[in-house]
Amino acid sequence: MIKRPSRGKKKRGFGMATVPGQLIWEMVKKNNCFLVKQFGRGTASLRFSKESNNLYNLNSYKHSGLANKKTVTIQAADKDQAVVLATSKTKKQNKPASLYHKSVMKKEFRRMAKAVENQVEGNYYRPDLKKAALARLSAVHRSLKVAKSGVKKSKRQALKIRV
Amino acid sequence: MAAAARPLVSVQPLPGSLNDMSTDHVTTVALPDVMKASIRPDIVNFVHSNISKNSRQPYAVSKKAGHQTSAESWGTGRAVSRIPRVSGGGTHRAGQGAFGNMCRGGRMFAPTKTWRRWHRKVNVNQKRYAVVSAIAASSIPSLVMARGHRVESVPEMPLVISDSAESIEKTSTAIKVLKEIGAYPDAEKAKDSHAIRPGKGKMRNRRYISRKGPLIVYGTEGAKLVKAFRNIPGVEVANVERLNLLKLAPGGHLGRFVIWTKSAIEKLDSIYGSFEKCSEKKKGYVLPRSKMVNADLARIINSDEVQSVVKPIKKEMKRASLKKNPLKNLNVMLKLNPYAKTARRMALLAEAERVKSKKEKLDKKRKPVSKEELAAAKAAGKAWYKTMISDSDYTEFDNFTKWLGVSQ
Repeated sequence: MIKRPSRGKKKRGFGMATVPGQLIWEMVKKNNCFLVKQFGRGTASLRFSKESNNLYNLNSYKHSGLANKKTVTIQAADKDQAVVLATSKTKKQNKPASLYHKSVMKKEFRRMAKAVENQVEGNYYRPDLKKAALARLSAVHRSLKVAKSGVKKSKRQALKIRV
Repeated sequence: MAAAARPLVSVQPLPGSLNDMSTDHVTTVALPDVMKASIRPDIVNFVHSNISKNSRQPYAVSKKAGHQTSAESWGTGRAVSRIPRVSGGGTHRAGQGAFGNMCRGGRMFAPTKTWRRWHRKVNVNQKRYAVVSAIAASSIPSLVMARGHRVESVPEMPLVISDSAESIEKTSTAIKVLKEIGAYPDAEKAKDSHAIRPGKGKMRNRRYISRKGPLIVYGTEGAKLVKAFRNIPGVEVANVERLNLLKLAPGGHLGRFVIWTKSAIEKLDSIYGSFEKCSEKKKGYVLPRSKMVNADLARIINSDEVQSVVKPIKKEMKRASLKKNPLKNLNVMLKLNPYAKTARRMALLAEAERVKSKKEKLDKKRKPVSKEELAAAKAAGKAWYKTMISDSDYTEFDNFTKWLGVSQ
């Protein structure tokens, strides 16, 4: 499809008033409140995104939490060592309060990984996000462990704790 | 488009203190057609940047600035530059350069004038298109979130509250209402963001800046909620009949968080009309048509109608192979000219034949001739000579008798 700059695809929908993801993406990709342009090693070509529903935190259509109907997100929950897995429901696109399926997971890592995999790929929900979801799960889990045991004071301590 | 085909938006009931809705079941309103109009960030940006120029106040330097001297150039010959210099004496100012933009105390380059074109005219239709786009964008949670509003706990977009909100008088109830409908985080964000502006603006009467919170749109004139909501930081109020693009798309960015009252949303249909029906309030105005009615490309591409006619995917990629020279490579030659095989075979056989026969001939020649053969060859030579003589009647000619010798 031909991409024309800033000439967003026009929409006129019947049924749900949702605008298709592609159109939203065209409008949002250059400019949104979650866009982060730093850390690009001197260029601004690497765009990050601070949305909560973005698994890689990359500003791209595939990972975007704004432009997709089905999104997956993995966050740290308030409780210690617990991780929240949230997927968005496709039918409730214009009800932000009830949009997400949240589930708090506090199992051992392998079980959580299996659960995440099932939710993301097993249901054919978003099979293209499976790797991203698992990667994020590891990262969040690792950070929770660090948070619990405190920042490393010496290299020796790091070796001991690494499971 | 029949009204039945339009989705319904539920009206949020308000807390018990405003009692007429709390006992009622949740009512619904049909989504007004405006919300389905095309969303055109380019038009909104253009119109916004032009409209925001309209409230500008002119600024200019004084007309006389830099010219209130009677300076004259000293001309050449005095070892100074030829800039006009202030006449007179007895003060620092005497002899200093004047009038030029490069001089200290001179007038600036191109002094700003009040008759600069401050305001911009925008076509009415464009202005309406922009407003319509902005209203449509405000009903899409993704866009509103992308603009930065905190709408995660809002029960539905577009957010409609019952008309009992229009009679709210106290700001404290107003805040309670916002909390009920999940709009408070956005207002809170605006309140927390109140900060002193960086830059010179702070000494030019623009000291504070803050984020924009929700925009409350009400339907009936003189509703009391205006006074109740207007003091909440970040919150703005507007009447449906007079919606302002500068409020609907602040900064030219689509997706303001809008809270409608039930009567406001019901009025939208009569104000803007539908795609076919003219608007009642705006003479002859019809909602703009979109270029693509169904812009969901993914669905179109994957639909049965398209997929059933489309050719199957070519999974195999035929890549360009290295060209081999048919003159050197037999197989490639055969691909081009199958007869080449037999032709070459024939050529080879013929060659072999030739070689063989030549060899035989040479062998024969190199072999010493046997006596019989020699005698036979000599006799054949003589015989030929005789036949040559008889064939041509040489004896007629006298000259030849000398060296011809005896006739046959």
